Amino acid sequence: MANNVTALADNKLQGKKMTGHKITWNTLVKQKQLIFMSVPMLIYILIFSYVPIWGWLMAFQNYKPAKGFFEQKWVGLQNFKYLFKDDNFIRDFRNTISMSFINLILSYVTAIVLALLLNEIKNIFFKRTVQTISYLPHFLSWVIVTGIVATCLSTEGGIVNIVLVKLGIINSPINWLSEGKYFWGIVGATNVWKELGWNTIIYLGAITAIDPALYEAAGLDGAGRFKKMWHVTLPGIKATFVVLLIMSIGHVMEAGFEIQYLLGKGPVLDWSETIDIYVIKYGINQFNYSLATAAGIFKSVIAIIMLFLANNVAKRLGEERLI
Amino acid sequence: MMLKKRNWLVALLTGLLSVSFVLTGCGGSDSSSSSTSTSGSATATGSASAEKLDPIEISFFIADPGQAPTPDNKIYKRIKEELGVTCNFEFLVGDKNQKIGVMIAGGEYPDVITLGSDTVSKFTGAGALVPLEDIIEKDAPNLKKHFDPYKNKVKDVTDGHFYVMPGYGVYYNDFSINVNEGPAFFMQKAVLKDAGYPKVKTLDQYFDLIEKYKAKNPTIDGQPTIGFEVLSEGWRDFCLKNPPQHLIGHPNDGGVVVDNKTNTAEFFWDKDYAKRYYKKLNEVNAKGLLDPESFTMNYDQYIAKLSSGRVLGMFDQHWNFSNAELTLKTQKKFERTYAPLPVVFDEGTQDYYMDRPVLNVNTGYAITKSAKDPARIVKFFDALLTEKWQKILGWGIEGEDYKVDDKGSFYMTPEQRVNYNDQTWRLGNMAHTLWYYAPKMEGTFSDGNATGPGGQPKEYYDALDQYDKDFLKAYGYDQQSDFFSPAPENRISYPAWQIDLVDGSPASMANTKAGDIATKFLPKAILAKPDKFDSVWDEYVNQLHKEDIQAYVDRINDQLKWRAENWK
Repeated sequence: MANNVTALADNKLQGKKMTGHKITWNTLVKQKQLIFMSVPMLIYILIFSYVPIWGWLMAFQNYKPAKGFFEQKWVGLQNFKYLFKDDNFIRDFRNTISMSFINLILSYVTAIVLALLLNEIKNIFFKRTVQTISYLPHFLSWVIVTGIVATCLSTEGGIVNIVLVKLGIINSPINWLSEGKYFWGIVGATNVWKELGWNTIIYLGAITAIDPALYEAAGLDGAGRFKKMWHVTLPGIKATFVVLLIMSIGHVMEAGFEIQYLLGKGPVLDWSETIDIYVIKYGINQFNYSLATAAGIFKSVIAIIMLFLANNVAKRLGEERLI
Repeated sequence: MMLKKRNWLVALLTGLLSVSFVLTGCGGSDSSSSSTSTSGSATATGSASAEKLDPIEISFFIADPGQAPTPDNKIYKRIKEELGVTCNFEFLVGDKNQKIGVMIAGGEYPDVITLGSDTVSKFTGAGALVPLEDIIEKDAPNLKKHFDPYKNKVKDVTDGHFYVMPGYGVYYNDFSINVNEGPAFFMQKAVLKDAGYPKVKTLDQYFDLIEKYKAKNPTIDGQPTIGFEVLSEGWRDFCLKNPPQHLIGHPNDGGVVVDNKTNTAEFFWDKDYAKRYYKKLNEVNAKGLLDPESFTMNYDQYIAKLSSGRVLGMFDQHWNFSNAELTLKTQKKFERTYAPLPVVFDEGTQDYYMDRPVLNVNTGYAITKSAKDPARIVKFFDALLTEKWQKILGWGIEGEDYKVDDKGSFYMTPEQRVNYNDQTWRLGNMAHTLWYYAPKMEGTFSDGNATGPGGQPKEYYDALDQYDKDFLKAYGYDQQSDFFSPAPENRISYPAWQIDLVDGSPASMANTKAGDIATKFLPKAILAKPDKFDSVWDEYVNQLHKEDIQAYVDRINDQLKWRAENWK
């Protein structure tokens, strides 16, 4: 155990030293291959992430396609005012954030639990089978997944209703997709089903990187399976976990689009419509690109704020961080 | 282990390689076939130089998903040989508005695009279309004659130019409408047969029949019977929202009821007659006749349910579920196909479901600024608008696709009929993509034959199954459309549903928002406990009134007035 702690501390120290280095011409020359390798990525980011920011100007115009830039009418913050006065937009913001956090928490907890469980399995064949089966749904398109979900939840021969009725939990089939209160749960559960195995892969990778000597040492100190999980495995993947978490918090405004779009019918509209659907409905379909862009900017701003917040919190807690 | 893995990899790689060879092989043969055919067309135009038209390739964008005709399609081949025109179609993939937005923002268009009343203003606003009136006046005698009676109707509402050539609504000589593709309350033929072929006039009678039949037949083919089905998905929500206007004896004007005398529109979703219909649905639901999944299913599920033959009735437009009827017919379940019933609230009301054909303004082909030689393209459509080509487009090649009897009337052998109904066969042997959207003759040719097999009364009757023949005979009708009252003369400004609300305008935003409110509240009201219906309804009306409905109605009225003045 003691060894383990010092080893970790060493790691940390080294990490600090590395980041503390000043970038000098010498290091640049020394790492010229690395720099050369990163150039295409930089160009890619410039072209696809920075150049389009130019388009944000649209949000302050009454943009009409096919007109030149100087022929557009400038309207100031009118589009943003429209958004924040629109009850639908506020509602969609709430839905987006809520579903996103539900997805975030569920996917992290389940992925880590499954990774821990799989790690304990000694039978390679069984482990591989479970892994393969659990990550296969990741490759299904959302259109197909929503079809499967709708069929499972159907009141006529849907497996969920049949099982619940047979178990005596409910008396008559519930029309799951027509009641708003179930919608967020359905989205969360579907996401877990689809992405669980996929999310697990990276944790399993992190777990294999843990030095087996640590387990041996813990074993000698009298730790059982659960103690090993708690004191060795979990701390071993903590860094991965935190970095991934910061990254996902940056995506918190992306609650998904397809599932809400395809399953969110009239009766559940109040719970299902996300900002992305709002953009389609009132922006793109209305040829109102300015409003769509304004909503997009709003999303980006929130995402950046969340990213820095999470990064900062991680720093305060003395964890790994991204920036 | 290692070796095994490598073997597996090698197998995979060779597999991939062979696939890619096959693909490139396809590509190669494709290009070679097209090169031979272009050379063929070159010689053909050499001989057809009497028409003095240069060979041309026209690129089409079809704003609907679809399948491209096969490269050796016999009709397009003939068009290429005789008219010197090669048609290249691009179909919609993905979202229409997005595709159109990209097209307009880039300013690059295919030569010819299909437009609908919802997309016209996007293109005209961007100045993307070529005005056709002068070209048609000068170079296209057939088109000129074709649209002459509608000179004013085809004008664009904002600048008065003629941009879009309507594909439907111009009739020649006599015509008969055998099947009314429009709206109605539909009912399974078995239900009507079981009740002794009654004439159903009111909404109450309609649901009584369904209730009785369902009580008698709780299952059909082993599955639970569904009494009434309401589709409410996406733009097909007219199944949920349109019935009230028909129930008080008005034709389909979309979201409004238009007074025939004053030519003014009324928004009807919040009116008492709308409430009466949805209250009836609420009762129907309480009796367990309504499918509980109605409001959560999508279009595919809807079609699947109808195709299973256990849905007794629904409000819809015939074209919207004709696929389901085709499936039922191929399964020989003719008794499960549907008869239209023009149902109204009260006995005294005259039904007005069937309307006279109207010119489908703003829907059809338009030529874009990117086209190098618009006049040549107009001449092509002009050439197609002759009886010779209309017969080829509508019926096919004489002798191969249809036959002519000794009296000169066209008919199909059963084999030809099977071909004609086969989508895959059509891709190689009909030019339907081109024909559907192009200006066309409807009604009958000068020799008395209908312009397509569907319009030929004898052909229609012969193609019917014995069950349907008996069914019509029991009612004393000759055709499906006899279920409706004869269509009165159209109001000049009819129909209001074609009116473009102008994207992003207050009228259009109000329409979208009201639509959302209705798709949210109507299911709630219908599925509510009967004693709660009134409170849900009041909340619905309140929510509607919060939106700028007036802007919507004003826009419609403005356009109705404009039509009344300019369409005379």
